Order: sequence, then structure tokens, then C-alpha cells
Amino acid sequence: MTTVPSELAVETEAKGALPSGGAPTPARRVLHSLRTSPGAIASIVIIVAIALMAILAPVLSAITGWDPYEFDPTAIDSDLGGLPIGPLGGVSAEHWFGVEPGNGRDIFIRVAYGAQVSLLIAVSATLVTTTIGVVLGMIAGYFGGIADQVISRVMDFLMAFPTLIFMIALLSALPAGNRPALLVIVLSIFGWPYTARIIRGQTMSLRNSEFVEAARASGAKPLRIAFREVLPNLRGTIIVLATLAVPGYIGTEAGLSFLGVGVTPPTPSWGQMISTAVGWYAVDPMYFLIPGTFLFLTVFAFTVLGDHLRKALDTGDAA
Amino acid sequence: MLFYLLRRVLAGILVLFLISLFTFAIFFWLSPDPAVQICGKTCTPERIDQIRSQLGLDLPFLQQYWQFVSGIFVGRTYGEGAGAITCAAPCLGFSFQTNQSVTDMIADRMPVSVTVAVGAAVLWLLAGVGGGLLSAVKQGTGWDRTVMFGALAGISLPNYFVALLLQYVLVVQLQWLPFPHAASFTEDPVAWFQAYLMPWLVLAFGYAAMYSRIVRTNVIDTLGQNFMRTARAKGLDQSLVMRRHALRPSLTPVVTLFGMDFAGLLGGALITETVFGLNGVGKLAADSITKNDQPVIMGVTLLAGLLVVIGNMVVDVAYTGLDPRVRVRSA
Amino acid sequence: MKKGTVFIGLALAGSLALTGCTGGSGGSGGSASGGLSGEPATGGTLRVLQNADFSHLDPAQGFDGGVNNFYRLIYRTLTTQGAGEGAEGTEIVPDLATELGTPNEDNTVWTYTLKDDVFFEDGTPITSKDVKFGVERSLDPSISIGSPYAKIVLDIPEGYEGYYLSGPLDSIETPDDRTIVFHLNQPYADFDAVVGQAPFTPFPADADVTTTSIDQQPIASGPYRVTEYQRGSTLVLERNEHWDPETDEVRTAAPDSFEWTFGLDAATIDERMIAGQGEDANAIAGSVAPASIARIQTPEIQSRTVAGLQGCTTYMGLNTTKPGMDNVLVRQAINVAMDKEAVKDATGGSQLADIATTIMPPTVVGREEFDLYGTEDQTGDPEKAKELLAEAGYPDGFEFTLDIRNQPKMQAQAEAVQQSLAKAGITVNFNLIDTSTYYEVIGTLSQQHDAAITGWCPDWPTGATFLPPLFEGSQIFEKGNSNIAQLNDPAINERMAEIRLMTDVDEANAAWGALDEQIMELAPQVPLLYEKTVMVVGDNIAGAFSHAGFSGGIDYVSVGLKSAE
Repeated sequence: MTTVPSELAVETEAKGALPSGGAPTPARRVLHSLRTSPGAIASIVIIVAIALMAILAPVLSAITGWDPYEFDPTAIDSDLGGLPIGPLGGVSAEHWFGVEPGNGRDIFIRVAYGAQVSLLIAVSATLVTTTIGVVLGMIAGYFGGIADQVISRVMDFLMAFPTLIFMIALLSALPAGNRPALLVIVLSIFGWPYTARIIRGQTMSLRNSEFVEAARASGAKPLRIAFREVLPNLRGTIIVLATLAVPGYIGTEAGLSFLGVGVTPPTPSWGQMISTAVGWYAVDPMYFLIPGTFLFLTVFAFTVLGDHLRKALDTGDAA
Repeated sequence: MLFYLLRRVLAGILVLFLISLFTFAIFFWLSPDPAVQICGKTCTPERIDQIRSQLGLDLPFLQQYWQFVSGIFVGRTYGEGAGAITCAAPCLGFSFQTNQSVTDMIADRMPVSVTVAVGAAVLWLLAGVGGGLLSAVKQGTGWDRTVMFGALAGISLPNYFVALLLQYVLVVQLQWLPFPHAASFTEDPVAWFQAYLMPWLVLAFGYAAMYSRIVRTNVIDTLGQNFMRTARAKGLDQSLVMRRHALRPSLTPVVTLFGMDFAGLLGGALITETVFGLNGVGKLAADSITKNDQPVIMGVTLLAGLLVVIGNMVVDVAYTGLDPRVRVRSA
Repeated sequence: MKKGTVFIGLALAGSLALTGCTGGSGGSGGSASGGLSGEPATGGTLRVLQNADFSHLDPAQGFDGGVNNFYRLIYRTLTTQGAGEGAEGTEIVPDLATELGTPNEDNTVWTYTLKDDVFFEDGTPITSKDVKFGVERSLDPSISIGSPYAKIVLDIPEGYEGYYLSGPLDSIETPDDRTIVFHLNQPYADFDAVVGQAPFTPFPADADVTTTSIDQQPIASGPYRVTEYQRGSTLVLERNEHWDPETDEVRTAAPDSFEWTFGLDAATIDERMIAGQGEDANAIAGSVAPASIARIQTPEIQSRTVAGLQGCTTYMGLNTTKPGMDNVLVRQAINVAMDKEAVKDATGGSQLADIATTIMPPTVVGREEFDLYGTEDQTGDPEKAKELLAEAGYPDGFEFTLDIRNQPKMQAQAEAVQQSLAKAGITVNFNLIDTSTYYEVIGTLSQQHDAAITGWCPDWPTGATFLPPLFEGSQIFEKGNSNIAQLNDPAINERMAEIRLMTDVDEANAAWGALDEQIMELAPQVPLLYEKTVMVVGDNIAGAFSHAGFSGGIDYVSVGLKSAE
């Protein structure tokens, strides 16, 4: 997995800007454009389904009768190294997605709980980085001067960091503690500049627009202008950035867990499941295929949705 | 121009300095005592003290940091007398877990990493630029949709998942490839190629997807611009227009991107190298992190930082040469 | 008195353990016992695929089954373990010495005579002075991190810091070039095993040998010398022309050279060994991963599979000083509640582990079979555990913290423990510790928690190197502690002192076996597993068997090629 949302940063940079400022796009038009796109609808359906699965994990656990930590020795063959019994990694009426080799834990329930962890971390990191990114980006873009100098240098510095290596090093050095919280913090430290940079650029162009000039002329305070006039115009950009940031963090979290510095066992996590499945890929491919497919679908759905949102906002501007 | 370059270099050095200070501080304050780790299972307090003084671990933070930095430029000696270990400049530290200088360890692993990186880079440039162009030229057709859907899927697939899929399909199911294992190019070129093919594909996949999206957007943008319309209006041949006028401006951002991505590959290839068991620098970093071999982690992090900084600089310089509109860009 | 006869019954114990495991696997017949028959041919290059490099080439520093196995290729000691399966392999036999040592009456002075015609790799004869120097060198504080027995039993003056800092050691005498006399600080019936430990390797007393030089460039006394070594990637051994097979009854040393490849992924090694193509036909490797077990069940691969016990016990030590854990009923409840089947499956199933019921594994001489806390199918008895807990004053359950190593197998084992104890109302919290510092943390009294999963392998297979380090009160150390149960029971301590004074090794071994049960009554640990090695070797390999003295690895000095090209 690549690091934080570099793809996002790069693409927006290459394109010059995201939906550039101007009048706020009516939400209705965006919604309409999303509704008419099958891709967008499909991705929303996937996201909702996975979110539901995460939220309802305890209910699913009650329905299937398995909790994510429960062993099932009858589902594995001790004489074959703990390989799941039956085809497709032990898929059966009892275990819908089969079981983990070595202990017989139910993969379906672990994937559901894994979705909880993944989404929780990614959404929290997105909230944190979006907040920091928007605030600092607006300060840098609107006020310029020393503030801009300092914030821009810090951003340059963080973006020049060998992020993945450094995140791994940092997480391995930190005491075990509350891993999900640590992950959110580490992801946020390196993630916010990507948002801030774009917000800064757009704030700079908005600062000189007519309605801001007008507000300034009417004697409004800078802070008030920033939040009352500039911020609403950034709404579309922020939504797109946030939507595209989520899959980045999901992927990075899974990557870190895959490398063994993420969520600690026995907490289920997709990255960790795939990591354990590496050794089993030849005899029990379902073990990596299932969590891998969920990971892919989630990232994919968020990316498609982000893309569509951006397009919708773009055309909104052009119109 | 010269002044601009000088400024870039100075800024780069500052970034490197901060990276090293950061990394050093994190390990200094957060990590368990390396002397204890080195000492191992049958350790004695005397031995711990000895290791501490040998490594300079009994010194205050800034002094230790200074020793580390000066080691890079003039080399350093651990301990004194018969048991002393000299680490020649550029000394990135000495791993007491493996009894090797970090510089040597990295140098040993470098060829594998370079092989992985260069092969993957060639692949993703070809596939990314090719796919993007195809998509742009055939905009709106089935080709375009297929490439773009593939690209979307590509950026959403974690590379370790792709690695496992490829391995399962190509090695286990179809048996087209043997399980990859390192072979030397001169001794057995076929085995060498087979060993690196999957890592190249896996590493290139995500980047290729990303590049094709960007190239497509850029080419479409350029084609829509005024000077292009003029060129076509003048009756120039379509393919000539593409080659002469559309490619260059569309690919300039790709150069920037490529420089950055290539420089960042040390980190990017970490997972690929780990999954395929290739003994490159990325795997060295991953292994050292598992073993908590701090000098090595420090060394690799710093090297990765150096590459990113150099990559940035090269890109800036190349950019000024490539795009006539940008002669000087602020740092 | 001792003379090797002590190990009778070991083969029986070993086979019992192998066949005695529940179920018995279909199709595992070939791998369940021993090695590949057939004499290796002389010559050729034997390849070894290995994940991690050896810890140290310096025998004063390396101290694990794998490296000890390797040392026998390049080094010789006064005595060594035999070369053979089961008991034959763990028997102590003369090597550089003409015969086992001659003790004085109370086993405090031991005399050995060196063979003639034994040489270092440069042709210099090996003398008793070289053995003496080797031991003195190994006592230097900067390198004395290997086998500790020289430090423990030799009569060493206070403050002695090895040859380089303190000079020669008076308690080792060399009346002539062939004779060496050791003076001990205590009676020690097992001293023949001590002089077979790696730090007793001779080195030329007059050459440029320093504390660090051997680790870089070893000086061979065995059949091979190191000709190429790149740390972490390759190691090449070639014949030491000055080694005379006539002087060596242990080593077959059939191949002309050995070539190690390090840094290979465990999965890569398994894949290569299963495929066994090209040069890998001449290769051997360590135990396969659980995921590979299902793939090696074909007759072709079974015919080149070697298996055996590691000779170690994997256990969960219970810290008897912690609140709650200081109650023997609680510790017994944990023993009773444990689902050992689940732990076994998490480790790789029946082919990679047998369930443990005693502290000492079946490879230890004198070990007795018993099962104080046995439950049906070894899956634990939550109800009985709850009763014991209630009796102990914890009717509402018990909670404790388990130190675990950040490594997949250990985590899987810990999760199995957590699950099985949960059924008895015992909550297990994990304290995840970095792989590199794990043993350090659990060996530091102030840092260890209520319990830890770890293992113990004897330095030679008698109770003397198993029970005292784990359960003797005087062996509780602030740091580097192996008595992680912190058991300090007067009756146990006293019994250990008594056994140590026994001059008859057989009697002592039997006494250790009985003591095992006496200790388990106090339940200071939960014996979990006797882990096994299952190794796939190349098609062209002969004479490969799992050596019980080297963590179940293939005996390097016996293995060779079927056909040497």
C-alpha cells in the first residue's frame, strides 16, 4: 500500500485544483448527478453495507452464534497443521465464509469486527486531518505572511518524510498501549498536510474574489470573513478531500497491521488477517481472499464515490 | 538559477537534519534500551555497562546525536583498545545485533532494491502513460472505460493482496512461474527474470493505475486548450499534433510525479520486498523493525529521507528544463 | 558409573511420545519417526537454507540448538553428544579426549587425556593448553554470553575476568600437552557434559586470537573450516585437511563442503524444499510452517521428510509472587482449565506438537510420565476449574496479565490460552512485548507480569539442566532470571541440593524425574506442548535425522548426499 493519500494530493495538484471556488454548488445538483450514476450508487450501496456490517457486528455474532474470538476445533484438521476441514477454507452452513486455520475462528464474524476497527480508525483519522488541514490551510492561505511561511515549511517537511518507514518505526517504538488511538494520531500527523495544502491554495484564490473584497470593504473582521465567507465556499472541496482520504487511511491502516505494527491481536483487523494468511495462501486461499476482497471493496467504493463527487462538483462549477 | 539551486540544496539539508533529529529523538526517548537487547539472553550487568559505553549510550542526547552525525562525515570508532570497532565514513551507525556497519548492510541490499525499483518503474511508466494516452485518445469509448475502471481498481487494491493473488494464480494454480527466489542475473538470467517478474508487476500495478488516470486527465485538458485547437485548425495531422504538442505538456507533471515516486520507492517497496522475501533495503527495514535494531532503522530512514530530498531537487531542476512556462518556481 | 549407559529407555520414551498423541494422523507414518536411511556418499556440496544467520561463530558466545549443531562441524571439544537418533544422539561420548573424564572421589576434580593426531586447521597440534586457553578466553566478560556452565562449576576466583584481563586460571591444570585437569567449586557428576559445551572449544594459545577475532574468523578444529562468510547472506565451509577421521568416532563428515544461504523467508524455504528442484535436491532446511503440513502429505514428499521432538517444553510460567497467583488452588485451576488441544492446534496441530503434561520433555533421561491435571481429551475442564477457583476464594472468576511475544506463533498460542481459560471465568489480558526484548522483560523481576508463555530446552538432557534453572529458589535473579515462576519452596530447594550431591548419575536422573511431579503439585507452570520439528530435505540427501540434542534439527555431522555427482 502506498502511504497516506498521496494519490489524492498528486492528482489534485496535477489538475491545478479541485472544484475551484466560486459560488457554492447547490447540493441538489450534486445529489442528482450522483443519483444518475450507477457507479456512484453502487459505491454508496457498498459503503452502507460495510458500515452496517461493522455497526451490526454484535448482532451478526448473535445470529451466527460465533463471537470473533471463539475457537472451533471441530472445523479444523489437527493432523494437517490445523487446515480448515471442507472445501473453500471450511465454508459451511455454520461458517459462512469458512474458518481461520489453526483455531477455527469464524472468518465472517472476524471480517465484520475487522470492518469496525478499519472504519473507526479511518474515519477518525479523516476527521482529525480534515479539521487540522482546513484550519491550518485557511490560516496559511488567508493571512499569508509569517503564518503561511511557518505552516508551509512544516507541511513541506512532513511531506518530504519517508512516511511509511517512519510510521512503522514510530509505531514499533511506541509502547503497545491503545493501538487504534495511536494509529489515528500517527496517520493524522502525516496526513493533514495533504488537505491543508489544497485548502491553502483555494483560500488564496478566494481571498481575492469579489465577495470577499466586498465583505472586507464592509468592515468585517478577518476571522469572520474566513469562517463566514471563505469556509462555505470550500465545502465541496472538503467533502471530496474527506471522501478520498478515508480509503487512503483504510489502506494504510491495513498495511501497517499487515506489517505487524497496527492493531494488536486478538482484535480482528483485515490487514492482520491477510498477514496471517500469507503462509496459507497455497492451501487455503480463501483465508486471504475474503478479508482482501472486503478491504478492496471498501477502498474501491470510497474512491469511486470521491471521484464522482468531484466530477459532480466540477460540472456544477462549469455550469 | 544558481542561487535558486543553492537555496534548494540548503532547504534539502535542513529537511534531512530535521528528519535525523526527529528519528533519533524518537528512539532515544521511546524505545527500550538497545544495550539490553544486544546483550541477549545470558546477559550480565557488566556486559550491559560495557555495551553502553562502547555505543556511547551513556552520553546525553545531544552528544549522542552529534556522534551519529559526525560519524556520517568522518566515520567513528566504537569502544577502544583491541575490541574497538571502526566504522568508516559514511558511517550510518553500527548494528550490534548483526555485528555489521549499517552502511555495509544497506550497500549489500541495495542491488536488490534497485532491481526491483527500476524494473517496476519501467513497467509502470509504460503501462501508465500508455493506458492514459489510449484512454484520452479514445475518450468515451469502451477502451477508455475499461482502462479507467482498471485504474480505479488498481489504486484500490493493496499491493500485498495483489501479490498473494498473483502468487496463487501464477504459481499454484497455473504453475506458469516457479516460486520466486533470488537468482543472479549473470548465472541464470531466466531464473532471475522469473524471480523479479512478480515483484515488478505488483509494485508497478498501483503506480501504473495512478499514472494512467493522471495522464488521461492531462492529455484531455491539453487537447482542449487553445493552442491545440489552433494547431488542428491549421490542418496539421492528428497524430503529429499529438506527438508535437499534446504529449509534452501533458507529460511534464508525470515527470515531477515520477521523480518523487521513484525516490520514495525505498518505502514503497517495503511491503513488496517483504511479501516476496526479497532481501532489499525495504525488507531490511522491516526486519530491523521486528528485531528493534535501531541503528539500522535510523540508517534506512535517513537514507529514504535523503532520496526523497534528492528526488525533489532533481524534479525541480528537470521541471524548469521541460516546461518553458516554468523557469523559476518558488521552493 | 555413568559411561553412557544412563540413557537407556530414552528411545522408548521418544517413540511413546510420538505415537502416543491422540488421534494419530493418516499418512504421517513416514514422518513420525526418525530419519532417512542410507549412508551418505563422500564428497559434494550440501546446501542449507536458513532464515536467520547463526547468532555467533564464536563458541564462547553462541548458545542455542541450531548454532551448537553447527559448531560440531568446525569445532571439537573434549566430549560431545553422540550422532544418532534418540538416545544415541544425546549420549555424551569422548571427542578430543581419549575417553570420558576420570573424576576424583567426590566428583570435584576431573582429568581428561587428549587424543594424538588432532590438529587445528593450520596443522598445529591441539594441546591441553589450547583447551585451557579456550575456556579462559570464554570467561572474558565481553564475550561470556554463551553456555554458562564453566562459570558455574569451575573453581574461579572472585573477580576473575578471563584470560585477557586476569591471565591464566589456576583451577585448570595442564601437567603435559595431553593431560588437562579441572578443579570444580562443587561436586558435579555431570561434568562430562559440561566439557562438551561450546565454550570448551580449544583455540591456539599463542596465535593472534582476541575476544572478537573468532567471531569474524573462526579457527577450526573440526572437519571443516570457514572459507567464506558474509553475515546474513552466505557461509561456506570446506574440508579442514588436518582433521583426521581416524580420531573422530562421532562425525561422518561426508560432504566436501557445506553452503548456507541465510535471509530466506520461511515461506520461500518451504516452497523450495517442497519443489526440491535443481540444486535444492542437495539441500536441507529447518522445520516447515503449519501451513505447509497439508502439502507434504504426498508419498513423494513423505519419503524425504524427517521429524523428531525438539527436546524442549513449551509452557506457561505462573508468577507465584503475584496476588492470586500465589494461591496454589488458582494455579491448579488454570492448569485444569487449559485446553491444550487448542494450544496444540494453534501451534500447527498434531504433527508439529505433542501435548505436554510434565515439566520435562520425553527426551530427558529419567523423566516420568504423569498427568496431575489431565482432563478429558486434554481440552480442559472449566467446571472443575471454577470449583477450584471458588475454593480459592474467587467464585466470580479471576483475571491476570499474560506476557506474550510479538510473533505470530506465540500470539496464536496466547489466543488459545485466552479462549480456553475464558470458559472457566478466567480473564487473560495480553501484554504484548517486542520480539527482541521478550526474554529480557520476562527475566526481569520488576517487569514480568502474572504469567508468560515461553519454553525451556535442557543444555544436555538430564533434569540437572532443566528443573533447577526453572524452580530453584537460589536461582531467582533480579535480571536474567529463568525461574519466572519465582518458586522458592523450601522442600523443593532442599531436594535439589540433595540430588546434586548424588554421585550416581542414574540415581540422580531418576530423582529429578520424581521431583518433576513434586513440583507440578505446586502448579508453578502449565506444561503446554512438546514441540516437534518436521523437515523436508532434498531428494539427494542421505543420513538425515532429527537430533534430539540440537532442538530436533538435522544432525549436520551425519548428513550427506546420496550421490556426490
